[in-house]
Amino acid sequence: MRIEKCYFCSGPVYPGHGTMFVRNDCKTFRFCKSKCLKNFKKKRNPRKTRWTKAFRKASGKELTVDNSLEFEKRRNIAVKYKRELWSKTVEAMMKVEGIKRKRQAQFILNRLKKGKQLQKAEDISEVKKNIHLIKAPHADKAKVMEEKMVQKLQEDVEMGDN
Amino acid sequence: MALYNFKKIMVVPTSKEFIDITLSKTQRKTPTVIHKHYQIHRIRHFYMRKVKFTQQNYHDRLSQILTDFPKLDDIHPFYADLMNVLYDKDHYKLALGQINIAKNLIDNVSKDYVRLMKYGDSLYRCKQLKRAALGRMCTIMKRQKQSLEYLEQVRQHLSRLPTIDPNTRTLLLCGYPNVGKSSFINKVTRADVEVQPYAFTTKSLFVGHMDYKYLRWQVVDTPGILDHPLEERNTIEMQAITALAHLRSAVLYVMDLSEQCGHTLKQQLELFNNIRPLFANKPLLVVANKCDIKKISELTEEDKACDKLLAARVDSKMKGKKVHDVLNRLHLAMPAKRDDKPRPPFIPEGAKVGRKTMEVDAPKRKTERDLEMEMGDDYVLDLQKYWDLMNQDEKHDVIPEIWEGHNIADYIDPEIMKNLEDLEKEEELKVKAGEYESEEESEDEEMQEIRQLAKQIREKRKMKIVCSKEKDVHGPRMPRTVKKVERKTLEKEMGGLGLDMTGKDAVSRFSFSSHYAVNARRSRSVTVLKKRKREASVAPTSRTRSQSASRPPRDQSGVRDPKMAKKAKKLMKSQQKDMNRQGKKGEADRHVFDLKPKHLFSGKRKSGTNDHR
Repeated sequence: MRIEKCYFCSGPVYPGHGTMFVRNDCKTFRFCKSKCLKNFKKKRNPRKTRWTKAFRKASGKELTVDNSLEFEKRRNIAVKYKRELWSKTVEAMMKVEGIKRKRQAQFILNRLKKGKQLQKAEDISEVKKNIHLIKAPHADKAKVMEEKMVQKLQEDVEMGDN
Repeated sequence: MALYNFKKIMVVPTSKEFIDITLSKTQRKTPTVIHKHYQIHRIRHFYMRKVKFTQQNYHDRLSQILTDFPKLDDIHPFYADLMNVLYDKDHYKLALGQINIAKNLIDNVSKDYVRLMKYGDSLYRCKQLKRAALGRMCTIMKRQKQSLEYLEQVRQHLSRLPTIDPNTRTLLLCGYPNVGKSSFINKVTRADVEVQPYAFTTKSLFVGHMDYKYLRWQVVDTPGILDHPLEERNTIEMQAITALAHLRSAVLYVMDLSEQCGHTLKQQLELFNNIRPLFANKPLLVVANKCDIKKISELTEEDKACDKLLAARVDSKMKGKKVHDVLNRLHLAMPAKRDDKPRPPFIPEGAKVGRKTMEVDAPKRKTERDLEMEMGDDYVLDLQKYWDLMNQDEKHDVIPEIWEGHNIADYIDPEIMKNLEDLEKEEELKVKAGEYESEEESEDEEMQEIRQLAKQIREKRKMKIVCSKEKDVHGPRMPRTVKKVERKTLEKEMGGLGLDMTGKDAVSRFSFSSHYAVNARRSRSVTVLKKRKREASVAPTSRTRSQSASRPPRDQSGVRDPKMAKKAKKLMKSQQKDMNRQGKKGEADRHVFDLKPKHLFSGKRKSGTNDHR
């Protein structure tokens, strides 16, 4: 029992799901759902179809080279069953999974940092240019003027007094 | 070898057929449509093509006939002679020659007419030339009628000739008619030659095959030969003579002892002597046939003498010379012994053991089936007990395969623990270096405020865009001043922008039309002043929306009294009626409606409605 990888979207194909296509040169292609199969038949390149994992990895949107990813690899060497090896492997697997997720998340966060900076700069410029849409330029001017006038009157009065 | 081509000669059509085929082919395979208004070079090309096509066809077929039929000089003399005997060499050559001439004539005709066609200046002329050309070619073919018929017959006969290979081992049967040659060949081979009591039952050569000493032998049966000189022989006999003359074979001269064939022994002997020169260089055997009817011992003395004479002259070699030739070329090689060491063949031990076990019944291993029988209902098929693991007690473990979407088999690695340690160390280092610390957005209040404002600005802008899109642009464009702006909206708008709208002053100061109103008032006040000189009138007191007062609405401007207004309205309506009836939006609407679109009213409705069919 194995969980295979869909050729197109790189998603998991559980046993009893999906379809397999065998080509005349004996290469097999597994698909998790008909969407992937139909795209394949249309001869679309998964590396150019934006929603697939292949695209994301090829365009650098996701973590590609990392030590934690080297653990899950198909090794074509048969290993005889040993209880302790298997149990250790299961434990290791869980730990590796945790580390892998952390690293993947961090990678994406780093990628998005730049966007945040740009957003900040844009906000500032927007406010500078278009503040007049929500606040009239001389909105507080009247008050200020009034206060000034009041102040002046007071001064005049004082002056008059003196 | 010319041997097999006799069957592959193409059918020679009769002259009429030939003409029909070629002309119909020309009709079908060349373009047929031409008009007289086409350019002259096109017309010429069209007709030239037809002439050339016809010529090509004739040429091809005739060439094929010429190449298919065998040239008498190129084939084995046996066949050449045979064909001469059967079909007359001269006639044959003549026929083929005629065909050749016809081919050349047709080529010439086509060349001439193509040359002439270049000077054809109208469709009619070119057409006539083409007719003439084709006509001449067909006449030439008509004249070949006789040759073609003859060749067709030759072909049919040729294809039915027996395939006698002149180079292999052959036995030739000859003798008087009715002596028993055909019966002999029937017995010896699988051939089925007609045997009848009358003479000349066999009219041509027949071949049968038999096996002797693991070799294939041809046995050729000939029609009987009568005793007269060569010049007087007929076609049938000539075939036999030809075969005798050319085939390098062993000759079996068959004699009828009982004289049932109608000829005495003496006559047969004479014949034998006459054709003896033909037997030169060939092994000869005299066969005394029909000895069941009359045994050799019953022959008279005369006859016996003849027999003895015959026997003395008999060469009983049956072998052809060929076999000796072959033997000379074979040589069996044996490796010479190097030293005295014995080198017996090597047989591995396993083979010997295997052979022994095969011979003796070995005790069988206990099978699963036996177990099943023993345990009855308790039996459970457990294949895991045969597994060969490092620890034998782990055999019956349940092995996990999948965890959370991952295959455990992909992680199995003897060095996994080491790798995991390395990874964890790395991770620690990374954590220490602070890679995982999220940069606290230490945004001061200012930044937050700016963000808020930016958001508001964006929203406001979007709203404005949406409102602008909702404007009605299909009506007439009225100036802004026509619309009445309510005080409430003005207050709300300006208040939203942060301005103080409480005072009456403020409204007038900031309202747009009020600004206009000021100017208008200013301008009007001048004219009013002028007018005042003439009339006394009241100065405008309130600064209300004086704009609307200065511009009367359209249906009241230029109208004197209500009567006129009514009339004007009526006129307007009557004009409007027309346009309304036609569903026009206005005077300038010239759209033509398609009330009966063709796709909805024509054609069969396959599986739709009349709305969309």
